[in-house]
Amino acid sequence: MITLTDVHKRYRGHHASRWILQGVTLEIPTHESVALIGCNGAGKSTLLRLIGGTDEPNRGTVRRTCRVSWPLGLSGNFQGSLSGRQNTKFVCRIHGTNDAMQDRLEFVKAFSELGEAYEDAVNTYSSGMRARLAFAMSMAFDFDMYLVDELTAVGDAAFKRKSQKAFEDKAGRAGLVMVSHSEATLRTFCRSAIWLHEGTVRCFGTVDEALACYKESIDA
Amino acid sequence: MLSIATSVWKALLLREASTRLMTGRAGWLWLVLEPAAHIVFLMMMFAVVHKRHIAGANVELFVLTGVLGFFLVRNVARRGAEAINANSALFAYRQVKPIDAVLVRGVLEAFLMAVIGVLLLAACAVVGTPIAPHDPLRIAVAAWLLWGLGMGLGLTLSVTGTLVPEIGKVAALAFTPLYFVSAVMFPIGTVAPSLRAYLLANPIVHGLEAIRGGFFANYHSDDRISLTYLFFNTVVIVFAGLVLHARYARRLIAQ
Repeated sequence: MITLTDVHKRYRGHHASRWILQGVTLEIPTHESVALIGCNGAGKSTLLRLIGGTDEPNRGTVRRTCRVSWPLGLSGNFQGSLSGRQNTKFVCRIHGTNDAMQDRLEFVKAFSELGEAYEDAVNTYSSGMRARLAFAMSMAFDFDMYLVDELTAVGDAAFKRKSQKAFEDKAGRAGLVMVSHSEATLRTFCRSAIWLHEGTVRCFGTVDEALACYKESIDA
Repeated sequence: MLSIATSVWKALLLREASTRLMTGRAGWLWLVLEPAAHIVFLMMMFAVVHKRHIAGANVELFVLTGVLGFFLVRNVARRGAEAINANSALFAYRQVKPIDAVLVRGVLEAFLMAVIGVLLLAACAVVGTPIAPHDPLRIAVAAWLLWGLGMGLGLTLSVTGTLVPEIGKVAALAFTPLYFVSAVMFPIGTVAPSLRAYLLANPIVHGLEAIRGGFFANYHSDDRISLTYLFFNTVVIVFAGLVLHARYARRLIAQ
């Protein structure tokens, strides 16, 4: 269960500090798969970072009572000068898994299908390869809740099928909060939806309802 | 909580060590060669330009202690100051805090400097310089305090330099003039008394001269050289760095 209570967030810039989130209160049950919908700059990634504990709110609280993954995204998460294997080792170590590390390293290599490139520096990777690595790394751990930020958009069709299957295998055990601009992706992965609009959230029981509201707000 | 912190420190230490030692061809070799070349150059300067001895000390050890002691402070401070920018990608994992990156870099630099120091001292011994110190404890305490000073500077500069990049640039520039006033190449005892009072405000001078006093029994330094002064400077600056990290932790990880 993830509980956000009256969360406010702003980033200080050189000129002004605009509030991104203003009083977000929501609960995400552990096994729920939720789509996060909103236009560019609405604060989707910010909300995901707050849920993941990467960042802290200026006001309000975020409580996590289950194992939540880091926000899986294309930007960052990797040390560019190190190889895919070394990056995976780092993540294994900070999650306190020294004993089962070898298995996880091989799992990530196999799942990401990077092959020889697994030993190359991450900054030589294409965005698709980065996405594979990020996704495979998160799958090596048993999180209760996965946070995914625009990750599935870049993989090829085969990898998309594979990642979807991996999530389905974890279904019933793991929840998901996903940011994506691809409606098809959101419909396949998610059951319910959160629409972020002007600093506040509205929750919907189905993705379609949220998308309808979202489109209405754009057309208006 | 502590087990998480230790896991993160271990992971960061191994990560930092592998980038520091494996980059380029024989990256580890350059780590030793840089201070070694510097020391050899200064020794040559002493031999050619100065043409005189330092009272109560031998030139090799005098230069070695000065350069390594100063490099200890400078490298820990510099590498620590850059730690947050260099590791910003890793703050996506909520276990990893900015202060972890700075602390781990400081520990790694201390370890590397210790290895470099032992290698260079061994090299001195091989060419016949007597390296047995007269007061090893004083050397150890002074080295620890110099490391702490570098750590404090690193903690402070990592926050200020990340939030205000101009401060980082000025601080990086400041190390060159600091080198010339830190008694790296001259004994503080040879400085004119009127000027000496100002140079003694610099805590690094106290650390370096204390190390030399620990090596040479008859070294002519200044009576005002005090490890207590260095200690209080270290405590103040470490505290300032920790406060800054506590206060601005959230803003340091904002992307």
